[in-house]
Amino acid sequence: MRSQAMYFKVRAGDKLADRLLQQNLAKARSKFVDARAAAVAAYDGDFEALRSAGQGIRDRVLENLDLWLETFEERARARGAEVLYARDGEEICRLVTGIAQRHGVTKAVKSKSMLSEEAGLNAALTAVGVQPVETDLGEYIQQIDDNEPPSHILAPAFHKSREQVADLFARAHGKPRKTDIPEMTREAREVLREHFLSAGMGISGGNFLIAETGSVALVTNEGNGRMVTTLPDVHVVITGIEKIVPRLEDLATLMRLLPRSGTGQDISNYVSVLTGVKGEGDRDGPSHLYVILVDNGRASLVGSEFQDMLRCIRCGACMNHCPVYQTVGGHAYGWVYPGPMGAVLTPLFTGLGNALDLPHAATLCNQCGVVCPVRIPLPELLRRLRQRQVEAGLRPRGERIGMRAWAWLARRPRLYRLATRLVVRYLNWLAEGADRIRVMGVAPEWTAERDFPAPQGRTFHELYAQRRRTGEE
Amino acid sequence: MRVGLFVTCLVDLLRPGIGFGALRLLEAAGCDVVVPGGQTCCGQPAFNAGDTASARALATRVIDQFEGLDYLVAPSGSCAGMIKVHFPELFGEDERMRVRALALADRTFELTDFLVKFGGELQPPGDFRGTVTYHDSCSGLRELGIKRQPRQLLGRMAGVDLVEMAGCEECCGFGGMFSVKYPDVSAAITDRKCGQVSVTGADAVVLGDLGCMLAIEGRLRRLGDERTRVLHVAEVLAGEDC
Repeated sequence: MRSQAMYFKVRAGDKLADRLLQQNLAKARSKFVDARAAAVAAYDGDFEALRSAGQGIRDRVLENLDLWLETFEERARARGAEVLYARDGEEICRLVTGIAQRHGVTKAVKSKSMLSEEAGLNAALTAVGVQPVETDLGEYIQQIDDNEPPSHILAPAFHKSREQVADLFARAHGKPRKTDIPEMTREAREVLREHFLSAGMGISGGNFLIAETGSVALVTNEGNGRMVTTLPDVHVVITGIEKIVPRLEDLATLMRLLPRSGTGQDISNYVSVLTGVKGEGDRDGPSHLYVILVDNGRASLVGSEFQDMLRCIRCGACMNHCPVYQTVGGHAYGWVYPGPMGAVLTPLFTGLGNALDLPHAATLCNQCGVVCPVRIPLPELLRRLRQRQVEAGLRPRGERIGMRAWAWLARRPRLYRLATRLVVRYLNWLAEGADRIRVMGVAPEWTAERDFPAPQGRTFHELYAQRRRTGEE
Repeated sequence: MRVGLFVTCLVDLLRPGIGFGALRLLEAAGCDVVVPGGQTCCGQPAFNAGDTASARALATRVIDQFEGLDYLVAPSGSCAGMIKVHFPELFGEDERMRVRALALADRTFELTDFLVKFGGELQPPGDFRGTVTYHDSCSGLRELGIKRQPRQLLGRMAGVDLVEMAGCEECCGFGGMFSVKYPDVSAAITDRKCGQVSVTGADAVVLGDLGCMLAIEGRLRRLGDERTRVLHVAEVLAGEDC
């Protein structure tokens, strides 16, 4: 997917001006937040200890990622899977289209895979004559809406209202418009069933890879994942190299965290652990299983100051709780991953200079950090990205000089006192006797949207010195 | 005990009354309060902008100024959080400075936190009468665990009636330079906060950080709310005549 992350500021402005989107976001805003809070409150153990356990599992894997990958590879191969590595999105596309062509596939059904979004896989499949059909309901809605990218990693059509989906269905299905949600999902299910039965290949993501068994774990809510992974004769898994967990038992721990943190469910409707190809005498399952393990920037984070980010289990809690995401939605971020995790991953995966706004598009409120199931210090990572921008000379000249000049002044208290006295007097002059400033020439950005409370009159240090002199204090 | 008052740059500049309020409260709690004359800013703006060199230089100054005192107290969760949590991080490779930063961090407190821990049964001298709602600022709440402390102190005031707002722990949208870089997004976030404040019908929204105050008061007034007062917790506790 081509990144538009450079245009965050403009895109965010457009999203704020989009009244329909703002209505939809206002309705959806608290849904996952409230659900998580309820699920955590109802958890019959120590959720904070669970978060630490989750962090521990993920950290252990990342310490020896190469060894765990080898173990996974060996065990998966023993069960008949073919394990492939993809360096980047282009290589994902090349491998998947190659597999499709080898098996004479003309239609592929897909369950959710953010990696395929990173690669722009659907366009690549279409180009070689393979029809990709998204079967996750949200992804399907996005696909029939002229392939609009998802705006949320769990709920791709998070930004759409029921009314908008009703219009899309009526147009795409050529049937009478429905607004009753069970009726709408039934209609989608009928359309998708035909695709499940006629597809030659299934493509899925993988939430976790279990090293000791060589299995792929899938966490879904709609059951489409099971159809995609068992009906077609060929199944392709595309997932990141960091998704490994050592043992099946670790999956149990992470599964206590993932649905509670993301959607607020105790457990997702479906949890599938897929191991190898169809065995002799098995009636279901693919004859061919390919697991594509993707780097696309991940390996470079191992051992770096950004390694913590690789713990991410893609629950979406950070974006659900982010005041910025809640305000502008996922599309403003301009690439595959929105919200705080996207603001960290996008510059790391697509280049620091290609996403200059994103690390700054956060208030550093740390709401993301306190809900992250694997304790990723997201604000700290955003701050480190800001530091890297400064070091690489990527910040605007005015900003750099301004910051240094201010810091220079703040190291010289006498000069600083003089300057602050002047500033206070200037601000009071601007306020013209009122308790606020409506237009501030030196910081017009501030008074574009808000008033600036006028200073009380003198600086604290000025008054303090005065009071000390008069012996009042 | 000798307490160094870290006034904070925004209080110094915009609402000195908050600084004098903090002074009155600390003295009422029996502290010997010192205001080190060379203090300016804790360096947080530079730190958050990614200018580590400037942040380190300013952090060093704060350490120089305050390390001889028993405690450092600041009427701001965000500045106290900077000193307590981030100063030691800043000197990761400089062991000598890191040790000094850690020593100061141990003795650094946000004002209400300090008053609850060391102020005994301090009766706040303020005479505020009316309903208030409390906005938990992000750094204070999530870096320092400031939540019950201001409420506990306000609860000792006979005239103060606390009504909690929905979403009191949600960000006000300030975010330092964020509010200047993305004023429209920032204001849209503040609008939700303003709405939550208004629903309570409180006479004042009380908070512990100047940044939040600028964001909320600035937006309330721009939206035409002339009634709801925006007060620092020190102003309520100490009285506004400081």
